[in-house]
Amino acid sequence: MARVCDLMHRGVIYCYPEDNAKEVAKIMATNQIRAVVVMDESGEVWGLISIMELVGLYGKELEKTKAEEIMRPYKIEVDPQWSIEGAIALMKRKKIDQLIIIDPHAGPKRPVGILTSFDIVQYMSGLKIGHYETQLKMKS
Amino acid sequence: MSETVMSLMRRGAITCAEQTSIREVAQIMVVNRIRYCVVVNQSHEVVGIISARSILKAFGKDLDQTKAKDILLPYTISITPSTPLKEAIELMSKRKIEHLVVVSERLGSKAVLGILHASDIVVHLAGD
Repeated sequence: MARVCDLMHRGVIYCYPEDNAKEVAKIMATNQIRAVVVMDESGEVWGLISIMELVGLYGKELEKTKAEEIMRPYKIEVDPQWSIEGAIALMKRKKIDQLIIIDPHAGPKRPVGILTSFDIVQYMSGLKIGHYETQLKMKS
Repeated sequence: MSETVMSLMRRGAITCAEQTSIREVAQIMVVNRIRYCVVVNQSHEVVGIISARSILKAFGKDLDQTKAKDILLPYTISITPSTPLKEAIELMSKRKIEHLVVVSERLGSKAVLGILHASDIVVHLAGD
């Protein structure tokens, strides 16, 4: 059975707690991602800003809002060796689409990757990256 | 004049039928690199929407036997191209949904015209 480390993206795209929401929106737009990890300069995770936290700022002054004010504080420890079932149960229970993966060997609160609900959908689809056109068999 | 949904919505939407299997829905999402699939009936009217997270409900089940109608989130929010953007975004934020289905202005119509994506709103916010 697949483990979290088999499906997660290695490495994280991050911002600093004092960055403003406009900068976070630019990071998200440029990298076409839905979540940005908030880390301090020592590389310790503080939290996560998902796309919905930014959407909630529409009409407000983004330059005056700091990342640490809108982030979801990091509380959930997910180990790369966890089973996918464990990660799915957590996503469903917390109603979240991204999990920050922490490797205990890398040090406390040191992120090694991110697992999204879409990574699991890709696994469930049975399709391998890059060969969609040949692998997708539509019923005629 | 204030902005409307029309200014940010994407025309058209990726759809599937109520009887489409979850494996196929997952493949449709992966191939099109989207995190939603609009479920329509035979008259091409919206019945509901399936998000990446709702697909997870079917994990561990038989993906060929589980159908779109079994896991869809029923369509309850009516948004048209002339809905004020602010109103639509407030709705998204309150209900915590990343995609809103935009339907025709015709009274009682559920014909799908497009989708308002949270990611397009973030691009808008980043560019202002």
